[in-house]
Amino acid sequence: MSKWIAAVLLTIACICTTGSLSLAGGKDLGYLAPDEIKAAVEKVARENKDLARVNQLEKTSGDRDILLLELGRENSQAPAIMVVANMEGNYPPASEAAVKLARLLVGDWSDELEKHRWYIIALGNPDGYANFFKTPLYNSYLNGRPVNEDNDDAVDEDGPDDLNGDGYITMMRQIHPEGKWLKIEDNPVLMKRADNGKGEVGQYRLMREGIDNDGDGKINEDGPGGCNPGYNFPHDFKHYTKTDGLWAASEAESRAILEFAFAHPEIAMVLTFGRTNTLKDVPESSRKASATQDKYTLPRHFAREMGVDPEQEFTMAELIEMGKEATGMQDLTEEMVLQFLGVGAAVNPDRNDLPYWTEISKRYNDFIKEAGLDGKRLKPQQFPTGSIEEWSYYQYGVPTFAVDFWTLPEAEKKEEKKEEGAMTPEELEKMSNEEFIALGNEKISEFLKASGAPAQFTADMVIQGLQSGMMTTKKMAEMMRKMKKKEEAGGADETEEALLAYNPAAFVEWKPFNHPTLGEVEIGGMIPYSTVAPPADTIRALIDKQLPFLRALAGFLPEISIDKVNVEKRSNNVWKVEAWVINKGFLPYPTHQGQRCQRPTPAVVTFTGDGVTMLEGKPRVVLDLLDGSGGNQKVQWLIDAPEGKTVTISAQSFSAGTDQQAVSLKGGDR
Amino acid sequence: MLKRYLTIAAALAILLAAAPIQAGKVNLTFDHFYDGPAMLQALEDLHQAYPTFTDLRSIGKSEEGRDIWLLTINNQATGKDTEKPGIYVDGTIHGNEIQASEVCLYLAWYLLDKYDSIPMIKELVDKRSFYIIPVVNVDHRWRFFTDPGGYNIGRTAMVPFDDDRDGLVDEDDVEDLDGDGEILQMRIRDPYGGFKTDPDDPRVMIRTKPWEKGEWRRLGEEGIDNDGDGRINEDGPGYLDMNRNYGFKWQPPYVQGGAGDFPMSAKVTKAISDFVMTKPNICFDYAFHNSGGLLVRGPGSKLAGMYSPRDVAVYDYLGKEGEKIIPGYRYIIGSEDMYTTHGDFDEFMYSTLGIYGFVGELFMSEQERYRPPDDKPEKEDEDHSYYGGTPQEERQKFNDNVNQGTMYRDWKKFNHPQLGEIEIGGWRTYTTRIPPTFMLPEMVHRAASLVIFTARQAPDVSLEVLEVKDLGGGLHRIRVRAANPNAMPSLSSKAVSKDIVRKDILKITGSGIEVVSGGIVMDLQFDLVRPVEYRPWMIFTSVPSFGKTDVQWIVKGKGKATITYDAVKAKNSTLTVDL
Repeated sequence: MSKWIAAVLLTIACICTTGSLSLAGGKDLGYLAPDEIKAAVEKVARENKDLARVNQLEKTSGDRDILLLELGRENSQAPAIMVVANMEGNYPPASEAAVKLARLLVGDWSDELEKHRWYIIALGNPDGYANFFKTPLYNSYLNGRPVNEDNDDAVDEDGPDDLNGDGYITMMRQIHPEGKWLKIEDNPVLMKRADNGKGEVGQYRLMREGIDNDGDGKINEDGPGGCNPGYNFPHDFKHYTKTDGLWAASEAESRAILEFAFAHPEIAMVLTFGRTNTLKDVPESSRKASATQDKYTLPRHFAREMGVDPEQEFTMAELIEMGKEATGMQDLTEEMVLQFLGVGAAVNPDRNDLPYWTEISKRYNDFIKEAGLDGKRLKPQQFPTGSIEEWSYYQYGVPTFAVDFWTLPEAEKKEEKKEEGAMTPEELEKMSNEEFIALGNEKISEFLKASGAPAQFTADMVIQGLQSGMMTTKKMAEMMRKMKKKEEAGGADETEEALLAYNPAAFVEWKPFNHPTLGEVEIGGMIPYSTVAPPADTIRALIDKQLPFLRALAGFLPEISIDKVNVEKRSNNVWKVEAWVINKGFLPYPTHQGQRCQRPTPAVVTFTGDGVTMLEGKPRVVLDLLDGSGGNQKVQWLIDAPEGKTVTISAQSFSAGTDQQAVSLKGGDR
Repeated sequence: MLKRYLTIAAALAILLAAAPIQAGKVNLTFDHFYDGPAMLQALEDLHQAYPTFTDLRSIGKSEEGRDIWLLTINNQATGKDTEKPGIYVDGTIHGNEIQASEVCLYLAWYLLDKYDSIPMIKELVDKRSFYIIPVVNVDHRWRFFTDPGGYNIGRTAMVPFDDDRDGLVDEDDVEDLDGDGEILQMRIRDPYGGFKTDPDDPRVMIRTKPWEKGEWRRLGEEGIDNDGDGRINEDGPGYLDMNRNYGFKWQPPYVQGGAGDFPMSAKVTKAISDFVMTKPNICFDYAFHNSGGLLVRGPGSKLAGMYSPRDVAVYDYLGKEGEKIIPGYRYIIGSEDMYTTHGDFDEFMYSTLGIYGFVGELFMSEQERYRPPDDKPEKEDEDHSYYGGTPQEERQKFNDNVNQGTMYRDWKKFNHPQLGEIEIGGWRTYTTRIPPTFMLPEMVHRAASLVIFTARQAPDVSLEVLEVKDLGGGLHRIRVRAANPNAMPSLSSKAVSKDIVRKDILKITGSGIEVVSGGIVMDLQFDLVRPVEYRPWMIFTSVPSFGKTDVQWIVKGKGKATITYDAVKAKNSTLTVDL
């Protein structure tokens, strides 16, 4: 930390002496620019010809390359781990981590490449990231494809303008009748939104620094560039946002990565480096569900036709049975029923996958603690819709972990006087439902009062909710957090507060400026990127400490082998052959969501042997799912073959290894 | 001398530009289907015969490398194609729905051939651009004529896919076992098979009652179990349904079968969406399929949300007229009256780009009736009830007495390599969802008339000065009306509410004038005006269906003021006023 303060002081000193402007751009902070990332990736390949190759997946509209660094021996058949970094294009630590990981894998960690291949995209959104290295500095993650954001008669005509010439696009504030913002007492840089409910009257309006170039009354509403490919992936894609693209996979960057992934079934795991962290907190299963619902109702007109109450709820198993009955289709699948119901895709992790994620998350948090990196920090981004990490689990079906490496440390809160019965969300979360109920009616009432729950929430109700499973302590903690946020919105923004505590120099002091059309305004506020980019040296040290865990994730991959083959003579020249195929890896193959979304192709067991007639069983048997940590399936055949013949059983998969055993037909009767 | 030449040249140029296009230049008949090469030849002939009215180009290649041909019909003498409302028409996105392409070809031929002889066609061709892609699924429609097909084979794009998820791709296709050039049905003797021979017609099988013993088990299409998994024909080539691969609320294959890996992952859907994005003037699309006799509008799924009442009114107007243009066809809503589809073309056009569109499901089994017009069949055909429901026995009569027995192949014994003695037979390739060729001429004409009617309803916006009032002190109030007599507004309600398309711009300019204010007139009599706060000389708006938009400006100064209407999906126009 002291090093960081020293760096800031030094830079400030520089400003004073040289008058140099930008002190927070990528270059000044020591980050690799897009062309330097490209050079670094190419260098890794050039200097390690036996282990590394560069694929140019696509050119962006800004004429930059999407490069994929393929690490592993040339003819390797090993499962692959795909790493995609900085897809959002405005998260500097991500690309630094990806470059470092590549260097380690061809260097000190090269033994890992004997076991797995690694495909690394160190910079998924180079156009967007280039903005971090431009002056004036302006926080934008958009790629280079021009979009007419305001749908007027010109494209990209109203971008930001550095009016005060300080090298940053910050904010403008102006006292105005429509103002919704207030200064914060005893804090010269931060602003807060006026809370009318508390009698606060807004005073200032806040606008991004710039002028209304096209005279439409809006400032900076149609700047250069178009779309963030980081939110352009096809799971839970949001239409009509302007910045996410017109449809999923509409952008060159996202499409190139999707095409590559589907052409490479050996990809067994996806790691994303960006603003999300699914290792720190396992994604919850509390979103409004669709394909992962427990129960469904029938569409009204079908319910009428089938003579059932349209309000009545059915499980998927019941629906499949009803469907078979009604249609006579014996091969009716869950997929067909889902389509018939008209419900959308799964949006919550499959409950059978969750235990694996939870255990890996626990190990990650232990690791982070051990590394001394478990200080309280701001929450990473949650559930980004249309992101690559959501797509790779929900549609590509492979285990996916997102990691963010850094967020601002939480600002220290002034000690609040603890009310009788009060509890923090963290404390609440640690309690089981039963423990909480055991507090008793009185204590729970006190707790509800102290945490400001609406009066209609009685202790009895909460207890009932917990007993029925409608409510959990975890859900309650989440509700508390949301409530707290609402309260804090009356004060300064949590991120801004944290940034101020972390680095006071990340704010430009508000100073009067005579705006060409608005008149007297003040310009100031947060310097772009300062919440995501500490000096590169600082972040590199933190990345070095975290990468070993990401390497270790490869060790959790499923690994298929034939555990045992049993031959039993049933009659003269008639043999029963049994084989147990086992998954020795920690993770299931495929994931349960993968089984639902039919990716990847499951393991297949084949039986071959010359002069063998199969009496029962099939030469190819598909193993739908092998659970993790020893999950296994038995396959058996009854064959007609002379004694002493050799038959071969092999287990094959695209991304969990293959195994083969030859056995000779001999042995005693049953 | 030089001057004289120039005059002659100029006269020639005028003559050429106004030269009538000659009817009967290309003789196309519609009593047969155009196979792959014949379809292309016909398009080339049309282009060669009418070079200034047509443009024929490939917009991309399919999975198997075939060109996707686009025929643009536009009279260059009346303006560039993108300056006029564009009508997009395509056919056969599902490769086995072949007659859709004949409709597209006929439409193109009719618009060109009748340009001179039918005033309504001339007016339409002069005012619209037509973008016609007769064959979307170029691979499977081509193969429909060359490979032993079957009416259920060849719907999809030729994207390799492991249908049965056994790690092998496309390894268990159909086979023409008896070598008759067609893939028909197989049946095997089985007292528990659920079917028996119809006593009235030995070709027909009927379901047994639960207490009856049967004779037959149906085995599906001709073929063998190539991969030894106990199933026949379960992993043939092709898989991706292009009409589930488009980008609005696309859903993955486990939610929507055939969706493909991601939106526009097929080469053809990518090529078509890329093309459509270059023609923002397209205001309507007709996508032809078979069958069922349906005019289908979205929403295709609940996820797509409700359509706004104003757009529904436009759809209703066009759909209800359509029901009369093709008697018997029904105007329906896909997700409510049929089934859910995610990622279909029309939903993409409407919800992503704000373009109205219909699917035309051509032909219906009711047309194969064998009874007087007002006589209703006693029962529906339980196997093909979706396609309309003419009972099998009646269809057989239609086959025997109207088509001279060409529609059906009688059951014949065959020694199946894996199943032993079976029988092969059934409805032949060019039946069931495809009309007998004698019905084609009427089908293509009525369907083309549907497109022509719809195209006439694209927006035609005209400008009119309502008032120029001297307010004194050098100020004038100018009121202008933009009116549209047609059913389609200049922008769909979807385009406006989701801010998808740039709005129409009504603009006033003049060197001697200063625009003091501008706004949209809400009520002329009561002078209710919604002012435009910024850039008052430029008003962003749209012109409704069968309606008008009035605007007003207050300007200072004198001289000429030019008023322009600039629209993405309607033709621009200009007028001037003297102050």
